[in-house]
Amino acid sequence: MFYLGLISFVASILAMLIAVILTIYQLIKRQTILTKSTITLASISFGLHTLSVLTLMAMQVLQDYSISYVVSVVNSVMPTILKMTAIWGGQAGSLFFWGWTLNLVFFISLHVRRQIQDSWSFLFTALNLLFFGALSLFAENPFTRVWLTESGGILEGVFSPATGATVYSGISGFGLNPLLRHWGMVIHPPILYFGFALFLIPFSVAISYLIRGESDEGLLGETRLWLLSGWILLTAGIVLGSWWSYDVLGWGGYWAWDPVETASLLPWLTSTGLLHSLLLQKQRKIFKRFNFVLILLTYMLVIFSILITRAGLLNSVHAFGESKISLPLTLLTLTLFVVSVALLAWRWRHLHSGWELTSLVTRDAAFLYTNVILISLTIVCFYGLAYPLITGALTGTQIGLDRTFFDKAATPLFILLAVLMAVCPLSAWTVNAVRQLGKTARIPLILSLVLIVVSFFLLTKSWLALMVLFVVGFGLLLMLALTLRDCKSPREAGKRWWSQRARHGAWFVHAGVLLIALGIVGMEGLAGSIQGTMIPGDKMPLRSYHVEFVQLTTEYENPEYLTIEAELVLWKDGKVIGKLYPGQHLYETRGQYVSIPDKQSNLRGDFYTLLLDYSSMMGYVTIQASDNPLVNFMWIGALMMVLGAALAATLPWKSLQLGDDDQPTLEQPRS
Amino acid sequence: MKKTNRKTTIAVLVIAVALIALLIATTQSSTQYFLTVSELQGGETDLTGRNVRMSGVVLGDTIVYDPQTLDLTFEVAQIPGDHKVINEMGGMALVLEKAAADPTLPRITIHYNGVKPDLLKHEAQAIVSGSLDANGFFQAKELLLKCPSKYESALPNQVGN
Repeated sequence: MFYLGLISFVASILAMLIAVILTIYQLIKRQTILTKSTITLASISFGLHTLSVLTLMAMQVLQDYSISYVVSVVNSVMPTILKMTAIWGGQAGSLFFWGWTLNLVFFISLHVRRQIQDSWSFLFTALNLLFFGALSLFAENPFTRVWLTESGGILEGVFSPATGATVYSGISGFGLNPLLRHWGMVIHPPILYFGFALFLIPFSVAISYLIRGESDEGLLGETRLWLLSGWILLTAGIVLGSWWSYDVLGWGGYWAWDPVETASLLPWLTSTGLLHSLLLQKQRKIFKRFNFVLILLTYMLVIFSILITRAGLLNSVHAFGESKISLPLTLLTLTLFVVSVALLAWRWRHLHSGWELTSLVTRDAAFLYTNVILISLTIVCFYGLAYPLITGALTGTQIGLDRTFFDKAATPLFILLAVLMAVCPLSAWTVNAVRQLGKTARIPLILSLVLIVVSFFLLTKSWLALMVLFVVGFGLLLMLALTLRDCKSPREAGKRWWSQRARHGAWFVHAGVLLIALGIVGMEGLAGSIQGTMIPGDKMPLRSYHVEFVQLTTEYENPEYLTIEAELVLWKDGKVIGKLYPGQHLYETRGQYVSIPDKQSNLRGDFYTLLLDYSSMMGYVTIQASDNPLVNFMWIGALMMVLGAALAATLPWKSLQLGDDDQPTLEQPRS
Repeated sequence: MKKTNRKTTIAVLVIAVALIALLIATTQSSTQYFLTVSELQGGETDLTGRNVRMSGVVLGDTIVYDPQTLDLTFEVAQIPGDHKVINEMGGMALVLEKAAADPTLPRITIHYNGVKPDLLKHEAQAIVSGSLDANGFFQAKELLLKCPSKYESALPNQVGN
């Protein structure tokens, strides 16, 4: 197994290396079209890489403890799905897996219907891939084995580190950190990785355009789908991480400005800006330079984000700790930066696109404002992350910025963005829809007012929240009304709706962001919390709720940990509305506790409980209870963003149209 | 064309100035020193009251937690702050293990009010944010923990790949 995995990995890298040499040879001959043999070699490389990844996974499932990575992340009682996904649970494995996602994305880009790779972009994609392949091979090899020396010592090495040493598989697996034993772990990392990896293709294609001196519209048309898919997965990945930390890890928070969180936000911010300005380039032929800069910057920030996560430069819950790969990663980031800046400078004049912003209140201008805010946010976040690194390099003592920096500097910008979003696309769209619908708009208006009244009684008393709900509800109903107006059959309505899908998708994304803002308002402004120690029969009040402690149960339902659970009865306004079982898993061999929160969840919000402490002997528990209103709108909003973007992505670039100047109309696209 | 260019330049300048002002204003109130235990205690300048982030190894025997008041007290011992030094000493897991067993290293008592983290245990790496008070105790506002892999410490003589 070891040889299968290592040899297929090495062979995969060699195949890619030969493909690169062939490509360079082609480029010397001034041939920019990819040859069949290069594509075949790259495909072989992908196949071998896949085989190698599967081998490592198989060794994890089969618990081959002669492999040191397997020892560190797997143990005998973990469920199979976790044994498999432990491949991204540690530094060496996840770096290896990341290299594979790059190769997968590369493979897809070479085999989609429309070839977007030429020799130059192929070269850049392959070089990125080789870089990470080499890191895995020479610095963090996942196939490193455990050896027993003649004197009884234990060593690590891919090959025998000392004469007479034999492969040793006697150390039983340590297993994943208990905090990672959750299905959030199964899906959050790979989704994020794929999102990250997808930005490599637009980057390489843009580099190729710059080298070849082409600057036509082709670039954006060819890469839009890649950018959108990358953006969708990145959005989903970030939100899943946030949900995981809120819902499962028992940290109760959804966002902490942890360096790794902040770093993953950077490419999201620039790619969001890009998705806006590429529409303007398509429509008005402006922002050409800006778009090039953003495409290049997004991938650079992806690499920067990987650097922050893996190099252990900053303290973070996510970071893998100290590491020997920080220098190569820093060099890669700098190289990408220098190459991009040099190429841009070289072609700067060539990319000139004129500037024809006619007025400061047009929709074009609104796009511009959006991007200004997004770029400002990128700068703020980057500055906050880089500050300790820079002061550390200059003065020897790292002087960092704490969480309050991000709270204070980023929050006003986010509020500005939310306001801009509520005012611009949604309200402009609404005004226009009302104008077109005329009297028919009365029905949606009345219905959404009813919605607000109902919400007031059932959901929330916050006027800000109600306003957001009104904007979202009214917009949704108008969309329905417009689709259904004068329709003879459901089929026709469906067709009409489908033809407008890019606009509807965009609407969903923006409404989703507003709903997320609603959830944040709930968590930051309206939430309440209490903690206390109780013995059976005690009650603890929180707003209109009471939490009653019934009993403490302890059982060994899992071989690895002891489950301690507090049985709580939740009262609201004097009536029992449910039971909650917050608990802890005690991993006795590790001496580690993992809190398992329990909550009662509905649209109104969450009632969230944590078991902080207990004593089986004394029979008391310490419970933290929180009332988190509106929090679930965050996840609903995120889902709307992802689905909305996916909907918009199905419309081909050719037929994409912004509509008439300044007014987002609802007419059929005229393509 | 010229005119719009000038307008754009002015707009960009205004935004840049506003952004820089925002960054400077928030930077001043949020700076935080990243120090080790000995740097904090033996610093030439008095660091009492300054916003500090510090890392150390948790000494398991010293953990005292009152679940009623959520008052948490524990001691941490000095570990180096430089990754290079840590790597030379054989990796973080080994550094933590040695530091926890070495009574000669500088130690400091941490006070924290809040939920006791799952990972707070002997030989864990604690990263605390807060400030040094007049009595020489560290008042932590934030507490972050990282655990060494036991497996790594079972491999005393790691060699490079």
